[in-house]
Amino acid sequence: MIYGDKKTGIIVAGATGRQGEYHIGLMNEYARQVGGRGVVAGVTPKKGGQTVYGVPVYNTVKEALKEQDATASVIFVPGTAAADSIMESADAGLELVVAITEHVPVHDTMKAIAYAEMKGCAVIGPNCPGLLSPGEVKMGIMPAGLFSRGHVGVISRSGTLTYEVVDELTRAGIGQSTVVGIGGDPVIGQTFSDVLERFAEDPETKAVVLIGEVGGNLEAEAARNTEVPLVAYIAGVSAPPDKRMGHAGAIVEGGESDARSKIAKLKKMDIPVASRPSEIPDLVRDLFRCHC
Amino acid sequence: MKLLEYEAKQLFAEEGIRVPTGILVSKHEEILLHMDAIKGKVVVKAQVDVGGRGKAGGVLMADRDTVIETARKLFNTTIKGIPVQRILIEERLDIQHEYFVSITMDRAKKQPVILFAETGGMDIEETARKNAGAVHSVSFCPLLPDVPGFLLRELCGDAPSDIQKIVNRLYHVFCHKDALLAEINPLVTTPGGVYAADAKLIIDDNSLARQGIAVNRDLTEREREAEKHGFSFVELGGNIGVIGNGAGLTMSTLDLIEFYSGKAADFLDVGGGADSERVMHAVRLVASVPSVKVIVVNLLGGITRCDEVARGIIASGVSVPVIVRIAGTNEEEGRKLLSEKGYEMLDTMDHVVKRAVEVVK
Repeated sequence: MIYGDKKTGIIVAGATGRQGEYHIGLMNEYARQVGGRGVVAGVTPKKGGQTVYGVPVYNTVKEALKEQDATASVIFVPGTAAADSIMESADAGLELVVAITEHVPVHDTMKAIAYAEMKGCAVIGPNCPGLLSPGEVKMGIMPAGLFSRGHVGVISRSGTLTYEVVDELTRAGIGQSTVVGIGGDPVIGQTFSDVLERFAEDPETKAVVLIGEVGGNLEAEAARNTEVPLVAYIAGVSAPPDKRMGHAGAIVEGGESDARSKIAKLKKMDIPVASRPSEIPDLVRDLFRCHC
Repeated sequence: MKLLEYEAKQLFAEEGIRVPTGILVSKHEEILLHMDAIKGKVVVKAQVDVGGRGKAGGVLMADRDTVIETARKLFNTTIKGIPVQRILIEERLDIQHEYFVSITMDRAKKQPVILFAETGGMDIEETARKNAGAVHSVSFCPLLPDVPGFLLRELCGDAPSDIQKIVNRLYHVFCHKDALLAEINPLVTTPGGVYAADAKLIIDDNSLARQGIAVNRDLTEREREAEKHGFSFVELGGNIGVIGNGAGLTMSTLDLIEFYSGKAADFLDVGGGADSERVMHAVRLVASVPSVKVIVVNLLGGITRCDEVARGIIASGVSVPVIVRIAGTNEEEGRKLLSEKGYEMLDTMDHVVKRAVEVVK
């Protein structure tokens, strides 16, 4: 697994909001099942002293760290406050920030990521479902019931499409090491390349499924620079140019940001590319047959 | 949201970038009111959001004697199918040299990137394709308030130092206006100084509120209706309506329709945790697209509950057939509700899409 395990202590920023509260409940339910530490503190300005599902809430991340041992945070605070929250976590010395928040202004994101990286803190997201390592840790909003433990990593720009693929993998008897939703915005913290670097160092991960979509050209770039065996799927073959397909970053803007160009590049590198999600398990099985 | 040239130029001018003196009119007769300001040669420019506007006939040359007739003709044409509703009449500059400058985001570096070419104008894409070295680029830390001087020198090469100042001011526009793209092509030198002869500015949709923009004009009427409910919605022209949750899953559903040789009518992402009322609005909205013959609902329940989805579909009461694939949270109850009302349901997204393609055939 990468980014965290059972021992990881998690802080939730935006703990007293509807989303924050709900997902503290689910994350800690998962932690109980797997015997992990889960969410150890919540943070909401001016709400220090409250508890959410038994988790103590503090005014600031620094205050939380005085009493609790944590290395990661999951952020649920709304759009225009999210960047501030990312920087607060990084400044307090956390190693990892998972920003679930949607609709973060992209200039805010750029600045917050630059600041966090200066502080040695990795940011996943924003506009992402977080990550889940089956049997170890869940940081974010992924529905845990679909996952099974194994040796395939998944990196995706999407939420529900990831669940669809994980469901297909699990049904086919292919377990996952860690599943990372990197987010659908044009600028995100951990890119495909960053996550692949971690997977390359992870003894649990034997192959990675890369789920991309229209916009940018980072899928092929990442694939070019890794030794990890890959299977890819790119959504948006039918997406028209210049239209944002739900995600702020999912837009065909000339160049090679369309799905067909990406697929062609990946195939040129001899990477198997699924033409639909249901083909992914077979391609992963073929990959294992070749490499193991 | 894309701004039109005259709007972008106004914002550029506020940051100290000189733009040609101009008059904006929405009828050719209005020009009569401004004849005092029109001295010699002018450029008559259609204010339409179209790439390659110049080549498509949207920019015409005129003078004091011909400006009204030229504008009248331009108002009566369409530029790549878009009617001309506003025209900008500008003084014609005595151009010595044309440059190109464009600021956007580098997704790989997670930083702003500035592109600069010493030959701007209509053929910049062609220039870039033929000679990649002709377009210089620099990127730098987004926490800096200005483009560092050494990077400006590196970027602009032998161009006059006034050009460097303008590039930095364009960076200020880029930051202060929450732009995804800020571009001047051409940026021109004249005996009277440096001017932005054209202007392009795209504002981040996530920043419209703090930029004081109430309505996103890039959206069609139905897309705006969708936005009110918090849906992402794009019309695509086919006959199979699509509703999904999550952008990736919905896009993937559209791709499957193409895979099975069907044609999707729309992309509609209901978002996370949709309740029955939101689903009802989504189904009604898609059913209101005239070309829709069947609707595919592909929802994977995580935070979204399948029983809520089922109630929403039933409450919509639309006459077009709705074919459903729901999986995940409260799947059993959702399926039961829908089967009681006689809705067709399938197990996988492959099956539901295949079936929809059969139905329209």
